[in-house]
Amino acid sequence: MKPSLRPSFTRPWPCIASNFSTFFFQLPTPLTHARNITQIRHRHIHSSPSPPPPPQLASSPPPLLPLFLRPPEYTTTVSDLLEWHSWAKSLAASIGSSFEDSDNGPDSTLLCRELNWLMEDVLDGSDPSLMHKAVARDDPDTIISLKADVQELYSLWKQRIDERRPFQYIVGCQHWRDLILCVREGVLIPRPETEIIVELVGDVISKDEGLREGLWADLGTGSGAIAIGIAKILGNYGRVIATDLNPVAVQVASFNVERYSLQDKIEVREGSWWEPLKGVEGKVAGLVSNPPYIPSDDISGLQAEVGRHEPRLALDGGAEGMDDLLHLCNGAASMLKPGGFFAFETNGEKQCKFLVDYMQNQLPGSFCNVNTVSDFAGILRFVTGFRNR
Amino acid sequence: MKVSMAIQSLRKSLLHRTAYLGNSPSISSFLKFSEFAVSARPRLTVTSNATLKWRTGERKCRWGDFCSSNSAHNKALGSCFYSNGVSASSNHNGSSYLELTDEELMKQCEMGTFKASGPGGQHRNKRESAVRIKHIPTGIIAQAVEDRSQHKNRASALLRLRTLLALKVRNAVNLEAYSPPKELLQILPLKSTVRGSDCGPQIGPHNPKFMLGVQALLDLLSALEGSVSDAAKLLGLSTGALSRLILSDDSLRLAANELRASKGMKPLK
Ligand SMILES: C[S@@+](CC[C@H](N)C(=O)[O-])C[C@H]1O[C@@H](n2cnc3c(N)ncnc32)[C@H](O)[C@@H]1O
Repeated sequence: MKPSLRPSFTRPWPCIASNFSTFFFQLPTPLTHARNITQIRHRHIHSSPSPPPPPQLASSPPPLLPLFLRPPEYTTTVSDLLEWHSWAKSLAASIGSSFEDSDNGPDSTLLCRELNWLMEDVLDGSDPSLMHKAVARDDPDTIISLKADVQELYSLWKQRIDERRPFQYIVGCQHWRDLILCVREGVLIPRPETEIIVELVGDVISKDEGLREGLWADLGTGSGAIAIGIAKILGNYGRVIATDLNPVAVQVASFNVERYSLQDKIEVREGSWWEPLKGVEGKVAGLVSNPPYIPSDDISGLQAEVGRHEPRLALDGGAEGMDDLLHLCNGAASMLKPGGFFAFETNGEKQCKFLVDYMQNQLPGSFCNVNTVSDFAGILRFVTGFRNR
Repeated sequence: MKVSMAIQSLRKSLLHRTAYLGNSPSISSFLKFSEFAVSARPRLTVTSNATLKWRTGERKCRWGDFCSSNSAHNKALGSCFYSNGVSASSNHNGSSYLELTDEELMKQCEMGTFKASGPGGQHRNKRESAVRIKHIPTGIIAQAVEDRSQHKNRASALLRLRTLLALKVRNAVNLEAYSPPKELLQILPLKSTVRGSDCGPQIGPHNPKFMLGVQALLDLLSALEGSVSDAAKLLGLSTGALSRLILSDDSLRLAANELRASKGMKPLK
C-alpha cells in the first residue's frame, strides 16, 4: 500500500527526554522540524500546496517548558498584570466573529476563555491570598509572582491573535481527559473527540480480563495522549507500546509518559506504523490509532490554528485521507492476537463506512464485530472490531 | 481599562464567586473574570452562551448509550431552572437520586452534544468541550462549559445536576410526626435545640453533604407553605437564626425565595 517512511536524516539533538527541565529547551526549532518532515512526506508536496511555514517567533526566546511547569520566577505588580489582562481582553474582543467567519476559527468569547486559562497557568502555584489582599485593600502595587514575564505575556497573546498560534502551543499544554499533556510545535494537539478511544478501550477491558492483561499499541501517538490514557485504565495490568514516525512526537510523548511515571508501563518507539512492532506480530491484545486522515486537498482550507501551525505529517492522510487508515487495516489482522481489539479514529461517516465495507469484503474472515461509533457531536468517528478467533 | 476600574471588577468577581465557592477560592478560579460561572455549584441563573449550538434530533453516541436533546429545552435552556420545582416521581424520591453513584445517575441522563459545525476531529482546534446532561425523570438540565477538557466538564455537570436535584426535586414531608432527618440536623447551627450532640460540627456549604441537608430543609419549607417561622419551630431555632442560615448560601436563598414566591410570600432578605 504505502512504503515505510523512515526519516533519513539523523537526529541533530541529543535524546534527553529524562531531563525535564532542559528537555523543552533543546528540541529543534519548529521551522527546521517542519522542513524535515515535509521532506519525509514527498507525496504531500505534490498533492497540494504546502502550508505557510510556522511564523518565526522573533520576540520570544526558543521554546520553553510549558507555562504551568515553570517555576514562578518572575514578579510583577497587580496593576501591571491587570493592565496586560485588559489589553489582551480588548484585543480578543476586537476579533468578534471574524476568525469564525473566515475559517471557522475561534470567536472572541472563546478567546476570552482562553485568556482566563492563560491567566490560570501563569499564576499557577502563586499565593492566592496575595492577589486577594491586593484587591481587597485596593492596592495595585502589590507584587505577585508569575511563571512568565509580563512582557512575554504581551508577546504570547499577540502571537495568539495576530499569528493564530494555537492556545495550547502558547501555554505548552492541553487538558485532555483528566490529564495535562505537554505539547509544542511539531506535535498534534490532542482533540476532545479522541478521548472517546480511551472510553472504548475501558469498555472492552472491563469485559475481557485477557485483553486487560495484554500488550496494547498506540500507533502515531503524538503527545502520547491515547497511550497514557490507556495505561492509566489498565491499572496494574498490561503494557503499552506507543509509536511515532516523528522524532519530536517521540520525545514529547516520552516526556509526558515520564511526567505520569508510566515509563515502566509504556514504551515509546520511533518508526513508521508496523515497523516498531517487529517481534510482537500476532501478540497484540489491542491496537488503537488516530492516524492522519484529512484528505490532502482539504489541508489548505483548514482553520489557521491547525493548517498553519500543526504538523502536516499528523494531519495529511493522502488524496482520500485514507492512506494511513488502509495501511493500518491491512496490517491489523497479522498484528493482533486472536480476539484482539482495534479502534481507529476517522474523518467521519464516509471513511467509517468505507472501512467497515473494506474490512468485511476485502479482508473477509479477518475481523468480527466491526462497528462504527459516533463522537459527541453525533458524527460517526471511530471504527472498532475484533480479530477473529 | 484603568487599574482602579480593573480592581473594582476583580473585586466584584471575587465577591460574586465566594458566594458559591466553599474552600477559599484558588487564585485561578478567582481570576476567571469571564462571563461563565466557575463554581462547581450551579448558579440558578443560567448563563447562556451564544457560541453553543446544541444538537437537536436524536442520534446514538457515547455516554449513556443515547444522547439526544429535546428541542424545547434547547431553545430555552434556562426555563426548567425557574419552573416551580419538580415533584419526584412515585417510585423514586428526590433524596434517593442523590444517593445514586455517578454511573447510576448518568444512566438516567441524556448527554446533550454540540451541533456539529464542520467536520471536527483533526480539522478543528476550538476548545469547546461543553457538556450538557438532562436528567430524564425530572427534566432537569445541567451543563458545564468552562473546564479545559470534556472529561472535567462532564464531572462538573454531574455535580451541578446533583445540586439542582437537591434544590428542585421536592419530597413529601409528614408534618404530623415530623422529626428532622440527620442530614438536615447537620447543617443547623449548634444552638438548635433539636440537634443532638451526636450530629457533630455544623456542615457548611462547601461540604458535599450540605446539599442533602438543603434538600431536606426545602422539603420542610415547601410542606409548610414557605413559612420560615413554622420551620424554625420544628428545627428548634429562632426565625432569625433559620433566616440567617438560608441567606448564608446563595443557591439555598434563591431556591427558598423561589419557593416562597410560588406560595405568594415575600422574599427573605
Ligand atoms: C492525528 S495525529 C494523532 C496523535 C495522537 N495519537 C493524538 O490522538 O493526539 C497522527 C500521528 O501519526 C503520526 N504519523 C504520521 N505518519 C506516521 C507513520 N508513517 N508512522 C507512524 N506514525 C505516523 C504523526 O506524527 C502524528 O503524531
